[in-house]
Amino acid sequence: MKVLAFEQLSYRHLPDDFTQKYNSVVDTPYHELVDRDLMHQDHVDFLDEMLYAARMGFDGIATTEHSQASYDVLPNPNLQMSALAYATEQEKLDVALAVLGRSLGKSREPIRIAEEYAAIDQISGGRLVAGFPVALSYDASQNAGHPPIETRERYEDNRRLIERAWAAKEPFAWNSKYNRYPNVNPWPRPYQEKPPIWSPSIGTPSSLARILNDDDVFLYLSWFGPKYTGPRIFDRYWDLATEMGKEANPYRLAFVQGVVVGETDEIAHKEYGPHVERGYQQGLGSVPLSGLGLPGYVDINGVEAMVKDPGDFGIVPKMKTIKYSELVDAQCVIAGSPATVTEQLVEMIRRFRIGNLILMVQMGSMPKELVKKNITLLSEQVLPTLRKEWQDDNWEHRWWPTGANKSANKSANKKPRAGE
Amino acid sequence: MSAINIKGPERTEILDVHNGRIKLQVKIAGSGPALVYFHPAAGLYWDEFLDQLAETHTVYAPELPGTSAGDPYAIKQVDNFADLLLIYEEALNMLGLKQAIAVGQSLGGMIAVDLAAHFRDLFSRMVLLAPGGLWREDLPYKLLELYAAPPEEIPGYLFHDFSIPRAQAMLALPENPELIPKHIAASVWALGCSGKFLWPFAEQGLAKRIHRITTPTLVVWGKNDVLVPVGYAELFKQGIKDCQLKVFDNCGHIPQIEKFEETTKLVKKFIV
Repeated sequence: MKVLAFEQLSYRHLPDDFTQKYNSVVDTPYHELVDRDLMHQDHVDFLDEMLYAARMGFDGIATTEHSQASYDVLPNPNLQMSALAYATEQEKLDVALAVLGRSLGKSREPIRIAEEYAAIDQISGGRLVAGFPVALSYDASQNAGHPPIETRERYEDNRRLIERAWAAKEPFAWNSKYNRYPNVNPWPRPYQEKPPIWSPSIGTPSSLARILNDDDVFLYLSWFGPKYTGPRIFDRYWDLATEMGKEANPYRLAFVQGVVVGETDEIAHKEYGPHVERGYQQGLGSVPLSGLGLPGYVDINGVEAMVKDPGDFGIVPKMKTIKYSELVDAQCVIAGSPATVTEQLVEMIRRFRIGNLILMVQMGSMPKELVKKNITLLSEQVLPTLRKEWQDDNWEHRWWPTGANKSANKSANKKPRAGE
Repeated sequence: MSAINIKGPERTEILDVHNGRIKLQVKIAGSGPALVYFHPAAGLYWDEFLDQLAETHTVYAPELPGTSAGDPYAIKQVDNFADLLLIYEEALNMLGLKQAIAVGQSLGGMIAVDLAAHFRDLFSRMVLLAPGGLWREDLPYKLLELYAAPPEEIPGYLFHDFSIPRAQAMLALPENPELIPKHIAASVWALGCSGKFLWPFAEQGLAKRIHRITTPTLVVWGKNDVLVPVGYAELFKQGIKDCQLKVFDNCGHIPQIEKFEETTKLVKKFIV
C-alpha cells in the first residue's frame, strides 16, 4: 500500500460571502480578492507543508494543475514540484513526486510537458509519477480557448507524441492534426526508462476503457462523495478490467481522499470543520456546473447516459451550500480520531481495492499549524496501519517510480547521486 | 400553445464528399429555383420559414457533419473551417447547384457569407440572418455564455419574447419522455459540433475576405439580439458591396421565428 500526501494551493483568505458573489474559476476577480502578502505566504506554506509530509514519512507527495482558479493556484504544478524535487533530494527523502498532472487536452506545448517532467525526474533521480488528465472542460475551453469537442482528440494526440518523444532513440518528425514538429528530440529524457503514468478521471466508461487500454493507473477523487459514487465508479472499473483481461492489481488504482485527524472525533470536527466546509463551498462548489461539461466535451452517448442517470456526479450539484456534516456523511472528507479515520480508510481500501491512497491534507482556509497537525497525526497514528494493506498479497507495483523505493529495496535499485 | 404546423423536408440526399470521409446529408423540399439553407449551431430545425420558402423554391438544407442522426462522429473528419467550406462547395457542386440562392442563420450565415467570399460565383443572392463571422472587442458575443448556460437560461440568449408559440415549439422537448435523453444528447452534441467553428470566437478571418463578395446580399437582424449584437449588422453592410439591411425592433437572435411573417415576406421579395 502506498500513501501519498496531497494539497491544492488554495488562496486561504477568501471572504465569507465569496460563494454568493463569485465563481471560483475563469472570471474570479484577482485584485478584488487577493492580498499579495497573503498570496505569497500561501505559496510558501504550501511548499513547507508538502515538504513536511515528505519528512514525516509519506510515500509520496502530490499536486494538481488548475488555471485561473482561486481554489488551486497551480497553473503549472511542475514549478512547485521541481522545488520539492530539489528539497527532497537534498534531504535524501525518497518520496514519489506525483504531478496529477498536466492536462493534455488543454496543452498547446506537449513537448514542453515532456521536457518539464523529464527535468523533475532528473532532479529527483527517478521519482516522478507523470499524471495525464484530459483537462477540465472549463479549463480547456473557457480558459485556454479550445473548442470543447477537440479536448479528447488533443489529449490523444499530445499523449502519443509525449510517449514517443520519451522513448525515441532518434529525433523524429511529428505531423498530426494538432501538433507539427519537424524535429522532436527533447533534452533531457526522463531518468526512469518510462515514468509511471496515472490518469485522473471522473470514471465514465469510455475514459476507464482508455485508461485500462493504455495500462495507466486510474486516479479517482473523493470530492463527489464516495459513499454514493464509490461503488458505482470502482465496481465499473474493476468489472471493466476483468472484461478486458487485466489483472485486478490494486496498484492500478489511486484514490484521492480528503482526511482530517484530531485527537478525538469531537476535536477534529471542531477544529477542521469550518475550514473543510469553506473549502468545498468556495472551491468545487463555486465552479459553475455547466463548466464541467461544455457541449462537445462529453461524447453524445455519454450525454445521453448522464441525462438518464446523473448519479456519477454524486453531491456536486449541491456543493455550493453543502454543510460540513453532509460532507462527512458522503465521505467527501473523512474526519475524526486516528482510530475513526483508520477504520473508515481501511474499509474503503479493501472494498474498492485501492493500492495508492492519496490523502488530501489541506482544505479551504486551513492554516499551516493545523495542516501540520493533520500531517503529524496521520503519519504517526494512521499510516502505520494503512501500510500493511496488500502487504501479504504478491501484487507487483508496476506504476511506482523506480527512484522512490522508500519502503522496499531502496539502496539496491538506486544509483549514487551526483556529487556523492 | 397554439399548434404550429410544419410540413418538413420531403426527402434526404446523401452525398459522398471530402474524399470519401463524409456522407453529407441534405434535406430537401419543394420545387422551383434552388435555395440552399445553412442551419444555425443547434442543428437543422425545419420550421415554417423553410416550408414557406419551399412553396416557391427547391430548398436544400445540408446538415453540418456530426449533426445528422446516426452519424455523430463525422465531425472528426473536419479539421477546420476551411475544410468545412470545401465540403459544402463540393456538395453544392455534386447537387448541380449553380448560382443558387443562399440563406444562412447565425453559424449558417457565417458559412454562407464565407462561401461567397471564397467562391464569388457560387450564389446568385444571399440572405444572412444574424450571421457570425466578424469580431470586435467592443461588440462581445454571448456565445460562450450560451454554451455554458443551464437549460432554463438558453431561451434568454435566443429570443426577445420566448412566450410566442413558434419559439416555444422550437425548443419543445419530445412528448414521449423516453425520447428526451436522446433528444437532449443530440441537441448538446450539435452545439458541440458547431463549437468546432464558433469557439472561442464566431470569427474565422472573414474581415480579410469580405471585400471579395460580389453576391447581392440581404442582412436581417433583431435589434435585441443578445447572442450576436446588432452592431455587427452595420459592419456587414459596410463590408459587402451590394448589401441591404433590415433590423427588426423587439426581436432577438432568430428573426424568422420571432418576426416570422415580416421576415418571410422580406426574404421572398428579395429572392424573387
